[in-house]
Amino acid sequence: MKKVSLVHLKPDHKGKILEIMGGTGLQNRLMSMGIYVGKEITKLSYIGLRGPVVIRVGRSVLALGHGMATKIIVETE
Amino acid sequence: MIKKIYLIGNPNVGKSVVFSRLTGVHVISSNYPGTTVEFIKGYLALGDEKIEVVDLPGTYSLEPSSSAEKVAVSLLKEHPKNEIVIINVIDSTNLERNLLLTLQLIEEGFPTIACLNMCDDAVHRGVHIDIKKLEEILHIPVISTCAVTGVGIKLLIERIKDAAHVSRDKLPHEERWKEIGRIIEQVQHLEHRHHRLREMLEDASVRPLTGFVMASGVIYVSFRIVRFIGESIINKITDPIFYGTIQPLLEKLTLHWQEKSFLFHLLIGDLVNGKIDFKQSLGVLTTAPYIEFGMVLPYVISFYLVLSLLEDIGYLPRLAILLDNLLHRLGLHGYAIIPVLLGFGCNVPGILSTRVLESKRERFIASTIISIGVPCVPLQAMIVGLLGVFGGFYVGGVYLVLFCIILILGLILNRVLPGYSPEFLIEIPPYRFPPLAILAKKLYFRVQGFLFEAVPIVLIGVLVINILLYFKLFDIVTGIFAPVIHGLFDLPKEAIVALAIGFLRKDVAVGMLAPLGLSAKQLFIATTLLAISFPCVATFIVLWKELGVKDLIKSTLIMITISIIVGTALNFIILR
Repeated sequence: MKKVSLVHLKPDHKGKILEIMGGTGLQNRLMSMGIYVGKEITKLSYIGLRGPVVIRVGRSVLALGHGMATKIIVETE
Repeated sequence: MIKKIYLIGNPNVGKSVVFSRLTGVHVISSNYPGTTVEFIKGYLALGDEKIEVVDLPGTYSLEPSSSAEKVAVSLLKEHPKNEIVIINVIDSTNLERNLLLTLQLIEEGFPTIACLNMCDDAVHRGVHIDIKKLEEILHIPVISTCAVTGVGIKLLIERIKDAAHVSRDKLPHEERWKEIGRIIEQVQHLEHRHHRLREMLEDASVRPLTGFVMASGVIYVSFRIVRFIGESIINKITDPIFYGTIQPLLEKLTLHWQEKSFLFHLLIGDLVNGKIDFKQSLGVLTTAPYIEFGMVLPYVISFYLVLSLLEDIGYLPRLAILLDNLLHRLGLHGYAIIPVLLGFGCNVPGILSTRVLESKRERFIASTIISIGVPCVPLQAMIVGLLGVFGGFYVGGVYLVLFCIILILGLILNRVLPGYSPEFLIEIPPYRFPPLAILAKKLYFRVQGFLFEAVPIVLIGVLVINILLYFKLFDIVTGIFAPVIHGLFDLPKEAIVALAIGFLRKDVAVGMLAPLGLSAKQLFIATTLLAISFPCVATFIVLWKELGVKDLIKSTLIMITISIIVGTALNFIILR
């Protein structure tokens, strides 16, 4: 088991969210879209050069800005 | 006693399509989150009564995070809960995420009815939902619909009266998600499907390498199609009508008129080599209709056809991901590409849709960039029509100059303005293929909107201009500004009239330049200035409404400064 941010999680790998290091504003926004501690996600891609990260949560595909993605820590194999 | 019905749901679940079905009022709907940024009203006949139906912007929860979401949530509090019914529109292919809002609505005590929309798409994707079971668990009416085709809408209307207050404990979000997990386990059954072409394309468009290749292809092909359709309409339909039918007719009608008479001047304008010239005569019956129907309308049709197709397929949010990087440097995030693209059609809806951006700072930057650096279809069509005569090189040059202005302006604004711009967080919709009838209807309404707004202004505008020209009333103004416009931009003093008309409508303004006999360089500078300088009056009013007086003044000052710098630089440095 490794702890990495969403930016460093490899594409097409799964991870379980361990921690969201942001204020309550960000926490709530992510929460209302179904991203919260304990949720399993799959990373689809990273655009590179501090671009956004694309993940799959349940049946939705979401794109998150780079800064936001660095704040989300997941546990992966 | 039901007084109002609200349509509420997550972004991009098809609320606007349900709304159109219920009320018969057409609203623009697209396949990306945030098409509806204002609330829209209509009426539904229920028994003998007419009830007001309100379509709200999409929201993920009752705690709003963008200004469009704030509109949705604040409106819900306007009426006592027992006088309203909420139709909670849900995307059936994504029940889990949608249920958060549903549970919140029920917990808050709103009489709610759940409308599981896009049922056909759910079946395609192997998602089966037990509607009865869901009804039992939630204790509210649940109806499965497919608003695009109309399936289930009748049943939805019949069951509106069954919506009632249900008591349910308020939960914190984490508990609510756990509860949703339990509900999903009981009502949803997923059929395993192999990856098909559609899913493969969906994935490829968000990966860096394949994504950029696809984006370049999509942009290139879109551009070619817009040009091809636009030119085809002009060459095959409108030009033959104008030159083959209207010109001989007008010439016959005015055969015995005095060429220098007031009426002739108003309606026909000046003859070029003894003949009517639709591009240069500048009469109410000649150039005015030719500009709108013969030059602009063909491109309005082709542009909106391609834009509507890209919108409905769901490609635009994917473009937003790829451009996030670049736009971040301009103080925006990737999603700003959507207002910008809409702005290429008409600046007004472009600036309105900046409401999908979260902060006031982003909205100021985006609105300013759109009004300065993004030319609308009518203006572009005229630039292509007039400047294109000198070669595509010049037309490309105008776009290059505008693109550089957008980049430099964005970089500077991002540096200078206080605060920072929030990050990008959006849902990427699956690809959908809209039925042709829906696409045709959307195109029809957009083209109709253009005609209703443009044609009266153009006809009246040209009439008034001709009266002013006849009595030489412009001479006073041109005299004052002549040194500036001649000294700095090397334009004849008559061009000031065209630049001033730009405030009324950009297409007419470019049309006014045609009879001046400008050189390629002069026309290049004049059209570029028209694109940058004062937005037309409609855009101006929207800027005022959206930004407030203070920011409007700021934006205007930026506009004037850039116009003078760019016009002078083009004249003395770049195009020497």
